[in-house]
Amino acid sequence: MIILGIETSCDDTAAAVVVDGNKILSSVVSSQTDIHHPYGGVVPELASRKHIESIVPVVSEAISKSGISLKQLDGIAVTQGPGLIGSLLVGFSFAKGYAYALDLPWIGVNHLYGHINSVFLEPDSPPFPFAALLVSGGHTAIYYVKSYRDIELMGQTRDDAAGEAFDKVAKMSGLGYPGGGVIDKLAKEGDPEKIVFPRTYLNKSEFDFSFSGVKTSVNRYIQTHQEEYKDMIPDIVAGFQEAVVDVLSYKIVNAALEKRCDHIAIVGGVAANSRLREKVTHDAGSKSITVHIPSLHLCGDNAAMIAAVGYHYLKDGYQSDINDDVYSRAR
Amino acid sequence: MISKQIQIITESLEETQALGRKIGMLLEAGTVVALSGDLGSGKTVFVQGLARGLDVPNEYYITSPTYTLLNEYPGRYTLFHVDLYRIENPVDLEDIGLYETIDSDGVVAVEWADKLQKDFLSEYIALHFEILGDESRKIVITGYGHERCDLIEKIQKIYEEKT
Repeated sequence: MIILGIETSCDDTAAAVVVDGNKILSSVVSSQTDIHHPYGGVVPELASRKHIESIVPVVSEAISKSGISLKQLDGIAVTQGPGLIGSLLVGFSFAKGYAYALDLPWIGVNHLYGHINSVFLEPDSPPFPFAALLVSGGHTAIYYVKSYRDIELMGQTRDDAAGEAFDKVAKMSGLGYPGGGVIDKLAKEGDPEKIVFPRTYLNKSEFDFSFSGVKTSVNRYIQTHQEEYKDMIPDIVAGFQEAVVDVLSYKIVNAALEKRCDHIAIVGGVAANSRLREKVTHDAGSKSITVHIPSLHLCGDNAAMIAAVGYHYLKDGYQSDINDDVYSRAR
Repeated sequence: MISKQIQIITESLEETQALGRKIGMLLEAGTVVALSGDLGSGKTVFVQGLARGLDVPNEYYITSPTYTLLNEYPGRYTLFHVDLYRIENPVDLEDIGLYETIDSDGVVAVEWADKLQKDFLSEYIALHFEILGDESRKIVITGYGHERCDLIEKIQKIYEEKT
């Protein structure tokens, strides 16, 4: 089955063509294209308006790059939520119209399930069941994944997402915003044990997170070391990163142990963080648990993962209805 | 427009949250709460309390809307939790539907409200958070317009009785 995936839940407009939920024919993400591109302009900011400008050229490019004709499509999958309503509506309404015009079945899918399914777009995908850590700018959660569609939420952040904490600490440290990637690089030059920031585990046997406290601690540290902090940035961000990574790794490994899973997946934008990859691989390895992390281009928001999860719904006979609507919050 | 200002010091996260809860209990439909102050100064913590004061059920975690820009929660009135941190220009405000949201019957709590053009709000309350120590915060609360001044009066009474 050849599925067209469409994703507009946040800043990026994305479209992709995927075969059988695991083979990518094309994957286009608007914010990754350079400013001279026909539908360019700068990175699409926040807005549904930008999605409206991008959606047609992005879908057209995904189709043309895939090498297939529209007639070969078997269905359309589109992000239904969670995300920004105005942004979601652009992709969702477009998908409805496109499916109607082409007389194709279509399905609205959960963006977070899309991220989890991104591991199936890689050759070495985990067998069921496995534990998944979803870490991005907007989400931090642990799931028990029993099948492509049967996914149980084990815990989630109660305040800030991990990626958000990274971006805000980067901003406080004068590294710009967003700055998750910069912290990763700069932390390699610092000593993670020089400044110890608090680890918030909440209840150690449960799987909820809180990253607001460590963000505030870093802010306090900078404010109370105004004279010397600028020379200590590598140590500060290394200490911060270590605090966040410690908690993430502890919780996901424990989740896998509790559910007796031999496999862990780390997905979402923060899965690109090299220290997180290293730490979880090490901690899980000592318990004989294998860690699966998708390639960098599949960590961020993309439409290939939406096509991948949509394939499993459409294959099993699920379809959305023309009256269905988007939703802003996870459910 | 008439305004009234008071100042409250909170000594812990719990106290900041409790202030939010007490104010949440007093709010009427259509109130806009404009929040400002540094990263980590307690804006989201305050809204967590505000939500409970508005009877948003405990199973809803009040998470930071920095990425989502706008979170919506059911309560005595619908709570719209907005974060303008990532917003760079007024056009974006229109794009996220903020204008429609502020005209709704819900309660709207806006973080980084300094990015709003104030003449665009009519009556509202503003809270500015300042970091004093690890957990202690100075919170300056201002009500604009007669009804919002009355609200400030009520908050003042609650805190005067306590001390």
